[in-house]
Amino acid sequence: MKRLGAAAALLTLGACQPGGEVPLLISDLEVTPPRPGMQMSAGYFSLRNNTAKSIVVTRVDSPQFGAVEMHETTTVDGVSRMRPIESLRVEPGATVTLERGGKHLMLMRPADTLDTVVLNFYADETLLLSVAATTGPR
Amino acid sequence: MNRTLLAVILVAALIAGAWVALDSKPTAAPPPEPRVATVLPAPQALPEFTLVDQTGADRKRDYLEGQWDLLFFGFTHCPDICPTTLATLSSARQELSKSIAGAAPRIVLVSVDPERDTPEKLAEYIAYFGEDNLALTGPEAAIRELTEPLFVYFSKVPLENGDYTVDHSSVVLLVDPEGRFHALFSGPHKAADFVHDLPIIMGNS
Repeated sequence: MKRLGAAAALLTLGACQPGGEVPLLISDLEVTPPRPGMQMSAGYFSLRNNTAKSIVVTRVDSPQFGAVEMHETTTVDGVSRMRPIESLRVEPGATVTLERGGKHLMLMRPADTLDTVVLNFYADETLLLSVAATTGPR
Repeated sequence: MNRTLLAVILVAALIAGAWVALDSKPTAAPPPEPRVATVLPAPQALPEFTLVDQTGADRKRDYLEGQWDLLFFGFTHCPDICPTTLATLSSARQELSKSIAGAAPRIVLVSVDPERDTPEKLAEYIAYFGEDNLALTGPEAAIRELTEPLFVYFSKVPLENGDYTVDHSSVVLLVDPEGRFHALFSGPHKAADFVHDLPIIMGNS
């Protein structure tokens, strides 16, 4: 299965901490290609907060998609439910993982070509992180 | 030592030897058992239904006879759990194709979103997960004729953005060549579990 992933390159980042450590680090990024006939993909990754304060991601957008929402799938008593989530909170020193069957990005209305996908992460209107994923296995 | 005593000792030694030999004889290994799947004590005939497949052809219960099938209930606008499950089943099916004598079970996606899942969309979608995969859809009432007797749940849920999602059972049902509900796999689904359990179930039936 073709995936967009891993060769994720940081394009923009918030101010680095003293010592040069990035405040918010993304890893294991994977954007699934839209299934034939479908207008959506899913995004999975891990976010690590290297600061001493909580970081709350309130919005993600992408030039390659018409809309990006943060969602969570839960399965309780054998029933799977997917719901939007308002934000993604990463506590100081902690890592939040978005993975299959759990929290994920829902990326809707893709551009015609998706060789590279750029994802921008925001806290309200402040850009926290921009990351690009290029085609390739994770 | 007299001859009688010697004979008694020899006989006793033979009996003891035989006892030890019998006791140490390896016992037959118990038959392998599924590690995840729940096999029904008595397979249950599927309910009667009339749906359409991804080509638009009418399909009834007998469509699921003559081969093993894995039924999953989902929808194409589901970005996470549905493609993940179908990819898992596809991976298991590819692995099983190398290791079992007969055909690996077909994958049958039963749509729980008939408003959006037309046969045309399903045809494109299901082919992504393998060439021999099938999909069924139809009016909601017709889908429920299949799902409700099997206790498979689905429910349309409006979202704030004006769109909707569908809550649905995550179970995968195994249907045997006689068209009977034979076993079920509860999530979370792993390809290795299907690869382990299916040959056992299919061989034992």
